[in-house]
Amino acid sequence: MDQIFQSLSQFWEYTGFANCSWQNLVMIGIGLIFITLAIVKEWEPMLLVPIGFGMIVGNIPMFPGLNIGVYEDGSVLNILYQGVKQGWYPPLIFLGIGAMTDFSALISQPRLILIGAAAQMGIFGAYLLALLFGFAPNEAGAIGIIGGADGPTAIFLSSKLAPDLMGAIAVSAYSYMALVPVIQKPIMLLLTNKKERLIKMPTPRTVSKKEKIVFPIVGFLITAFIVPSGLPLLGMLFFGNLLKESGVTRRLANTASGPLIDVVTTLIGLTVGASTQADKFISVKSLMIFGLGLLSFVIATMSGVLFVKLMNLFIKNPAKKINPLIGNAGVSAVPDSARVSETVGREIDPSNHLLMHAMGPNVAGVIGSAVAAGILLSFLG
Amino acid sequence: MRKFLSAVLFFITCTLGAQNVSDLIISEALSSPDSTGILDGYGRRNGWVELFNKSTGTVSYGGCFLTDDRMNLKKSLIPKSDQRTKLGPRQSVVFYCSGNGADGTFYAGFKLEPGKTVYLVSNDGRTVIDSLAIPASLPAGRSIQKLAFDLRQQVFEPQADPAIPSPGILNGDQDSTTKAQIMAENDPHGLTLTVVSVAVVFSALAILWFLFWLLFDRRAKKKTAGHDGTPKRHSRPDRESPDGEVVAAIALALDMEASGDDYAAIAAAVHLYLTEAIHDVEPGIVTIRRTESSAWNNKTLTFRQLPQHENL
Repeated sequence: MDQIFQSLSQFWEYTGFANCSWQNLVMIGIGLIFITLAIVKEWEPMLLVPIGFGMIVGNIPMFPGLNIGVYEDGSVLNILYQGVKQGWYPPLIFLGIGAMTDFSALISQPRLILIGAAAQMGIFGAYLLALLFGFAPNEAGAIGIIGGADGPTAIFLSSKLAPDLMGAIAVSAYSYMALVPVIQKPIMLLLTNKKERLIKMPTPRTVSKKEKIVFPIVGFLITAFIVPSGLPLLGMLFFGNLLKESGVTRRLANTASGPLIDVVTTLIGLTVGASTQADKFISVKSLMIFGLGLLSFVIATMSGVLFVKLMNLFIKNPAKKINPLIGNAGVSAVPDSARVSETVGREIDPSNHLLMHAMGPNVAGVIGSAVAAGILLSFLG
Repeated sequence: MRKFLSAVLFFITCTLGAQNVSDLIISEALSSPDSTGILDGYGRRNGWVELFNKSTGTVSYGGCFLTDDRMNLKKSLIPKSDQRTKLGPRQSVVFYCSGNGADGTFYAGFKLEPGKTVYLVSNDGRTVIDSLAIPASLPAGRSIQKLAFDLRQQVFEPQADPAIPSPGILNGDQDSTTKAQIMAENDPHGLTLTVVSVAVVFSALAILWFLFWLLFDRRAKKKTAGHDGTPKRHSRPDRESPDGEVVAAIALALDMEASGDDYAAIAAAVHLYLTEAIHDVEPGIVTIRRTESSAWNNKTLTFRQLPQHENL
């Protein structure tokens, strides 16, 4: 009988109940909130469901040494996590993004590229603030990239610059990407007046197939020569796009934009979520990262909108003016931020459709954030 | 053609393999140990040679040779079968010059003496990968080293002055300061990095903008401009109707059901529809829908007409 009680007592020590701490419960609660937001509100469900569930997986309290945790060498989760840690997943996701992105909106109005550059101010604004709050330069760079509003880029850069902060940075980046409509709209309304919001932009011109094929090649050559450290992201992005636009590699493009990106997104979401183990995640630093992440989104949105207003000062022809409501789309949360432009634009004039115009700076933002990540990597890596 | 490509691939593979071994250098050597020198596996103090992998990949050096005789390049073979003969990126390995290669994998079959030159020879037994001359005046307990001021330069120069031995450790203090530390020292508030980075991001995208404006956008606008300089209207027959707006409204109406991909597709469709008059290809299948009430299925119409009496 004693032996039975002893065995039961030993078994109890291995259960989650015996090893549970309040931090685990907090993280499980956050995971559940993520899943709820994804299912009920449909905010970035492809990301928030895997991340949210990963948070629950990673925070199941367990007896250490069972070799099943994400940070324990050789465990299944640890092996899958290597794709995040070593930075394999983000370039593969960029391959898929490239294969599903239509750059026509950008090619037809090349001037909108500059808005994508302006919105990257969010990255460097957050970098300056992080330094001010006492983060080391490499940590500040990794935190700043949240302002790029690009999850894979944030994971890629933080895995190189500050692996210890990667969990908090990735969760912060994806959370704010899901909250883009909530964060951006008030800023856009604050920085624009009615007259500006009513600006109707001319219909973009037709883009030829030749232009679409040339764009990924020229785009890659220019950006990669300027920032070679961004090669993994830029190379994959433009390669994926060439697969799509060349028209002769449809099967490869379909695989990259379909099954491949789905598999990698599932794994990256789950393992990033699982990496938020309470003992490594709940800290003052994590809270500061969340705060700085929010500020970086705010700065990025403001920069984009204000830059459009600045551009309008130099555009004399009223018919060619740019609606500042597409400035927010310079952050690369594709296509959510472009959708915000459309929604806010239609609220004041239901006949004013900005979606197609906003897609230009939106995809430029993807390139811009990858370039910015490359610069930070070359300076701080 | 396929054979030719295979041959090219084989050649490239062989070349890459050779390049791997060529990434090794003799980074340090000590000929006369003093009483503070390191002990080998047998507790003896010998001269030693340090090999360093300057590349960012692992190099397998099994089958290569070490020698101190230019006329006898195969003097001491590094065992090929030993799994430990792999050197990670920016790592080093020490070979004890005990004079007896049979002592173990990391032992050379010659004694190192001042005034001689030590050679690392490729596994073909002919190609000298690297060499290091040991000055005749090298004092006991001091080594001769090769240094690169920056590892990215990949150029290692032998130092004239004898150095304090550092077997198995990176020579000099090349990695003692990280880039982040340098940045923290030189740019504590991050302003320089911010200005430079913003300038680079803008430059990269501005070049892209300028090129595409120059190559395509300007030409396309010229082509579509009318005689008076205003853009030509597209030839879509039903241009008057607000189709673009309707299509965009449909896109928004799908807000609750559509994913990001759908939005991108809808946006592209709106654009194509407005500018190129491209429409979805219809399936070409005619379906017959059952109608509930129509003149065609009115039973009275199927009745045979009654003969009518006419007054003749």
